[in-house]
Amino acid sequence: MRRTTTVLVLFLASLAALAQEVTLTVDAPGSAAAGERFRIIYSVNSTDGQFTPPKFDPSFSVQGPQQSTSRNVQWVNGDVKTVSTTTLVYYVVAGTPGTYTIPAATFESRKVTVSSPEKQIVITAGGSSQAAAGQGQQQGQSQSANTGESPSAGTDVSMKILLSEREVYFGEPVTGTLKLYTRINLSGIQELRYPDFKGFLKEDIETPPLRSLETEVIDGVQYGTGVIQRFVLYPQVSGELRIDPAEMTVLVQERTGTRDPFFDDPFFDNFFSSVSTVPRKVATLPVTVRVKPLPEPRPADFHGAVGSFTMESSISGADAKLNDAITMTVTLRGTGNLNLAGEPVINFPQGIEKYDPKVTLRGGGTATGTKVFEYLLIPRNTGTFEIPPVSYSVFDPRQGKYVTLRAGGFSVSVTGTPGQEEGAAPVYIPGEDVKYLGQDIRYIRNGDGRLTTLSSPLVSTLHYWLWFALALFVAGAVLLLRRGQMKRNADIAGLRNRRASRNARTRLAKANALLKSGKNDLVNAEIARALWGYLGDRLRIPQSEITRDKCNAALRQRNTGEDLLTELDMVLTATEYSQYAPLSEGESPAALARRAAALIGRLDDVLD
Amino acid sequence: MRRIVLINILFLAGLLGLAGQSAEERYSQAGQLYSSGDYSGAAAIYRKLWEEGFRSEDLLYNTGNAFFKAGDNATAILFYERAKLMAPADEDIDYNLQIARSRITDRFETVPQLFFVRWFDFLALLTSTNIWAVTALAMFITSLLLALVFLTKSRARGRLLSFWLSVATLIMALLMISLAVRNNSLVNHNRKAVITCSIVTGRSAPGETGNELFVLHSGTTVTVEQELGEYREVRLPDGNKGWIGSSCMEKI
Repeated sequence: MRRTTTVLVLFLASLAALAQEVTLTVDAPGSAAAGERFRIIYSVNSTDGQFTPPKFDPSFSVQGPQQSTSRNVQWVNGDVKTVSTTTLVYYVVAGTPGTYTIPAATFESRKVTVSSPEKQIVITAGGSSQAAAGQGQQQGQSQSANTGESPSAGTDVSMKILLSEREVYFGEPVTGTLKLYTRINLSGIQELRYPDFKGFLKEDIETPPLRSLETEVIDGVQYGTGVIQRFVLYPQVSGELRIDPAEMTVLVQERTGTRDPFFDDPFFDNFFSSVSTVPRKVATLPVTVRVKPLPEPRPADFHGAVGSFTMESSISGADAKLNDAITMTVTLRGTGNLNLAGEPVINFPQGIEKYDPKVTLRGGGTATGTKVFEYLLIPRNTGTFEIPPVSYSVFDPRQGKYVTLRAGGFSVSVTGTPGQEEGAAPVYIPGEDVKYLGQDIRYIRNGDGRLTTLSSPLVSTLHYWLWFALALFVAGAVLLLRRGQMKRNADIAGLRNRRASRNARTRLAKANALLKSGKNDLVNAEIARALWGYLGDRLRIPQSEITRDKCNAALRQRNTGEDLLTELDMVLTATEYSQYAPLSEGESPAALARRAAALIGRLDDVLD
Repeated sequence: MRRIVLINILFLAGLLGLAGQSAEERYSQAGQLYSSGDYSGAAAIYRKLWEEGFRSEDLLYNTGNAFFKAGDNATAILFYERAKLMAPADEDIDYNLQIARSRITDRFETVPQLFFVRWFDFLALLTSTNIWAVTALAMFITSLLLALVFLTKSRARGRLLSFWLSVATLIMALLMISLAVRNNSLVNHNRKAVITCSIVTGRSAPGETGNELFVLHSGTTVTVEQELGEYREVRLPDGNKGWIGSSCMEKI
């Protein structure tokens, strides 16, 4: 507009110099997108004449003209110069892409007829998203930090999505505002259509319905603005996220009817023209948001909460009855994505039955809110239970790191008597005759109880084992003594054995001596003693036990010949016989002594 | 032997002086309390008798019954287990123990012991360790006498018989010694314990820091494998191991 004004002033100056020469100029963009609305402005430095509009291409849909007139009266060195300017604005929407020529328009005054230059215009295929292409997008880019505050110049009605942040962390809430900018009168809004906010979780903030517009001056242009809807976006994926345009149909008040070229002014329209409402589509520019992923590694107790929070915990009572419910409450308070914050994981001690927490959410988003987790706990065992402190990590985007929140644990003492859940059905064991009604332990045993006192176990005392040693020792000693005695006895027998022949001969010599001295009755007894003594010593038979049978058996064991045994038998019989029959009828004692001596000699030979 | 008896007599006398009532009187008093339904009172008296050193299978059996009726299944199981050590063949004890076990929380697939271990333990528990010990000594002495006969007598028939008798009695003596030792270890040094806490967590290490491995409830019988300060490493009936505070269990 300002440029137009400047152009006009320059024109006026030149006009003054050229003494009121009438000129017709045209101002149109060199290119526009198909579907985009652009303006073609004709200016003529006269108010007195007939303007003939050019023949627009039939694919163009033309609105207007909007006509305005200005008069400038100058006094220069006493001369009065009156300069009048008429401006006609056409709003054009080109339907199909291509290069078009806007033919010349003509202005016919009373004196001259002037025509405007032809104008080439390139319509590009851009769609409505590139609406306000040239200026609008340029502005959007240059003002990206400013989130494109100002509406695109050259449009009467526009809409913007204003975001509180353009670069956020995953899950960090972003407040968005859908705002309407208008320079013309609107009678209403229809068909607000949001994009699908791909990659975001959107939550509307309660916004009062738009009833009146506020006045706001942007880049020197006055706009009527109004907030259509506020909302909070929670990014759910990381990366560059594009928010597609929101679209809306506004009802524009438009003048219809006859036009007075001299009073063609919106202000006067209200008085002189009838007004109709025309629907017009308005779309926002696409907006991109850069979502940074949360840093890795995430703490184990991180459950998706992003924001600035505090946490506290409380419990309904530190003393509880068995099987009576108690409540533990964990409150998360602060700003951030409270609605997405998962429940804290609390390792309740075994023996306490835990139910899923009841979650209450108040507020949240970019405003302060609370999220309350109520855990219903039922102690199933008695004793003292330690509920550990709650540890909960959140990501604080302002610090750009994880913060671990802690809330105190509790000690719960549970009292009560267990196992009082009577009423269990009696056990029926299928049977023919006997019906078992229940099960119980058997009765106690009365009586004296046969109580004994605890005695220390013998096996763990030393003296018990010493008894074994003692027994072994005694037995060993007895054995040794007995063995010694036997050995000595054996020695005596050996001596006797060795001396057996000598003793026998001594006895026989004694018998011979007795024979010589005439004591015949004693001779046989001496011979018998000599023989028995010899046999006893030689055969190791004690004299008290010796018999003829034993001797025979012992001699047979040593393989003595039978003739020797017979001889021995005969000699022994002879000695016995002669002993008890003194009046000898058999052998003489002398012969018997000789036979005995010979026998001992022979036995010696055999037994050695 | 005589000295132990003397000490026992002195001990008993001291106890009687303290209690004011003879042990038998208190035993029958507890029986009356049990009949009248005061199970806790009966249990208290029975337990006191046990703590004072009185033993008999009837006493232990009645103690278990009183605790069971008073609702303390864990202590009931503890006393039934003790009673079983005094009377392994008692069918009432087995029955009541089985009922008490059915009322506790933890269930285990128990691996039965090898049959000869069971038989040996049963034999060892048939009488007290001291009776086994004395019999073993008598057998040993008999064996020695027979051995002396074998070594000193020269006649062939008697020698052979005495030799074999000596060997047999020696084997008997050795068996009885091992039974006495086994009985002693079962009765006086049993490594089994019963969990008395309502609930206790078994950890992988002594202390409160180890990882939680399992949860036991009262009445479960475990085997103590190791002791370290206030903590015991226990083996569960299914073979798993873990550390538990010693305050939560009582040895059989």
